[in-house]
Amino acid sequence: MIAVEQLVKSYGATRVLHGIDHTQQRGEAVVLIGPSGCGKSTFLRCLNQLELADSGSITVAGVTITGGHPPRTGEARERQRQLRLKTGMVFQQFNLFPHLTALQNITTAPVVVKQLPAAEAEARGRALLAKVGLANKADAYPAQLSGGQQQRVAIARALAMEPEVMLFDEPTSALDPELRDEVLRVMRQLVEEGMTMIVVTHEMQFARDMADRVLFFDGGRVAESGAPDELFGNPRNERTREFLKRVATK
Amino acid sequence: MCYETTPMNNARRCPLISAVFWFAFLLLASGSRAVVAAETLEVIRSRGELLWGADAEGGAPYVYPDPTRPEQLIGFEVELADALAAQLGVKARMVQNQWDQLVPALERGNFDLILNGLEITPENLQRITFARPYYAYAQQIVARVGATNLTKLADLRGRPVGVLSGTAAQRLVEAFGGVDVRIYPGNVENFQDMKAGRIEAAVLDLPIALFYVREDPEFQLAGEPFAPGYYGIGVREADKTLLAALDEAISRLITDGTLERILRKYGIWDARQASLKNYQAEAVAKRARISTLREWPKYLPLLLRGAVTTVQLSVLGMALAMVTGLLIVLVRLYAVAPFRWLAQAYVEFIRGTPLLIQLFLIYYGLPELGIRLNPFLAGVIGLGLNYAANEAENYRAGIQAIPPGQMEAALALGMSRGQALRHVVLPQALRLVIPPVTNDFIAMFKDSSIVSVITMVELTKVYGMLAMSTYDYIGLGLMTAGIYFALSYPASLLAGWLERKLRYDRR
Repeated sequence: MIAVEQLVKSYGATRVLHGIDHTQQRGEAVVLIGPSGCGKSTFLRCLNQLELADSGSITVAGVTITGGHPPRTGEARERQRQLRLKTGMVFQQFNLFPHLTALQNITTAPVVVKQLPAAEAEARGRALLAKVGLANKADAYPAQLSGGQQQRVAIARALAMEPEVMLFDEPTSALDPELRDEVLRVMRQLVEEGMTMIVVTHEMQFARDMADRVLFFDGGRVAESGAPDELFGNPRNERTREFLKRVATK
Repeated sequence: MCYETTPMNNARRCPLISAVFWFAFLLLASGSRAVVAAETLEVIRSRGELLWGADAEGGAPYVYPDPTRPEQLIGFEVELADALAAQLGVKARMVQNQWDQLVPALERGNFDLILNGLEITPENLQRITFARPYYAYAQQIVARVGATNLTKLADLRGRPVGVLSGTAAQRLVEAFGGVDVRIYPGNVENFQDMKAGRIEAAVLDLPIALFYVREDPEFQLAGEPFAPGYYGIGVREADKTLLAALDEAISRLITDGTLERILRKYGIWDARQASLKNYQAEAVAKRARISTLREWPKYLPLLLRGAVTTVQLSVLGMALAMVTGLLIVLVRLYAVAPFRWLAQAYVEFIRGTPLLIQLFLIYYGLPELGIRLNPFLAGVIGLGLNYAANEAENYRAGIQAIPPGQMEAALALGMSRGQALRHVVLPQALRLVIPPVTNDFIAMFKDSSIVSVITMVELTKVYGMLAMSTYDYIGLGLMTAGIYFALSYPASLLAGWLERKLRYDRR
């Protein structure tokens, strides 16, 4: 489902990704952990082309993009858009559209991008709101919702495009602790339904419970990877041990 | 000889401010018209300088910068002023002042007298007095060479004809009726437009006609001079001793031949000037001062007709500005490099140059490239393209105030950049730009008065013309200000309502 080869990314003179390789099966849930600035968010943003890699290649659900330069031709732009259609993204800051209601946030892209009839988009939107437990908030504007509710709308918005892969970029970091569970519950449900996911998070419990595989990022490289029991129970890498100890005592 | 600029010159750019200024000033002066208490002749003598008011802009052959030495003023009135000052035993100094504002400026005490082709007319005699005349003028039709059918006023019926703002010619042609009168702030523009074919003829005081026809072989005097009259030196009514001294000095210049020598030097002496020797002042009955407020049914409709033009100009100009501004900002923010630079260069150029110059370029400059716009269209395009630069900057500020996460979220959903702008970024920016765009719209209401320089008669121009013939700056100023306010206040109410309606962040 996902195949990344030798992904390199720099900001000016600073190299943040040192040639990442990563493959992932359909239905697999992968969690990325690691200290701040280790490149895990950049990696995620490269996957759906919000950041352009310097070199390397990315394949998601059969769409391949080779890094190096921004898309110049119409064909290259179209391939970039196809790749984005295969992936859904959930942001740390939600990034809901504040001028649209919760329902409109969900229906706009299917109508605009996929030319879905409005009635159909609305029916699907309401179903998705019900799925994330917000059936009664369809007409609320984002400013009228709590952070946890906003993030659940954002998940529904991404799901409305029927992506093959869901990317979560620290989805609970901006939330008060008591609001995190409602978001994590929705994510757990998605894992159970067999969604292919990559989650960047500091929620170790979620990683332990739900991940098929955990990658520990350090200094722009995958320092260690493995099943959660293995990686949390018996970390081989010195840096992984340090990181886990720091997180545990927090 | 040197000259200085009075504040009146700036007031011309901001007519509304000028109206308010006059209002405040006249209140302070508490109704007394002559505000200079001391005997002016004494002041002149102790100062050693005679201050005379005139307008050197397009002032040939009266007062104008020497083409070969532009810092030096020449003209028959310059030499006359020097000769008069010599008679009084002082030096002459010219004070630059907008021509159609000379009388109010004299009353304000900006200078001692007016010496600038001011006609001795009943209107002017209502406010000031005149020394004995120094020139006998007449009206002259000027046309392009070859236009042989335009020799008298009746021939001008139904044709576009230029006159100078506030002159006897303007009143004459308007009173004659049936002529499509175009009012110009200066002679140069008048001849420029005749050359461009926007007007077929001009009616001018003879000295101007003689001077320009000699300068430019494209023009000719059409028909005989008519409607004779006199130029006189204007002084404040209270200055009786100055008036007597001037009368005496002019008589001497006439008898000793100095005046004739000066007039001959500029090629404007003719047989008519013999009448200067035995001029008899006609008694003019003083009318009661006109109160335009009391007679508002007569004046308000004229102002409102000007207001219609103002509204048309501003609404169309703003519509053009808002659409063009959007194009510019989209190119500037999202197009490829060379186009981006062009858009930025446009904004910087337009913002860095005065609207007045841009209007002149569009109206008087484009005809040389074969593009001839009528005044209204030139005004709309001038205002629109000028404000487009401001609107582009307003939009840019609005778009850049939208968090980048909004664009990212839209792109991540598979929208193209254009779709993301259309459905996500611009709707949010719209609400942010309502207040600055409304400000600009209201500013344009007032800025649109500048198109009077390209012969558009809009609200401020109507105010100016009526004020000049009635001298009631207070009444007309209040009415005009009232109309401007009545137009702009609803615009800001509408903007406030729109802004509230588009709110989406209330809890």
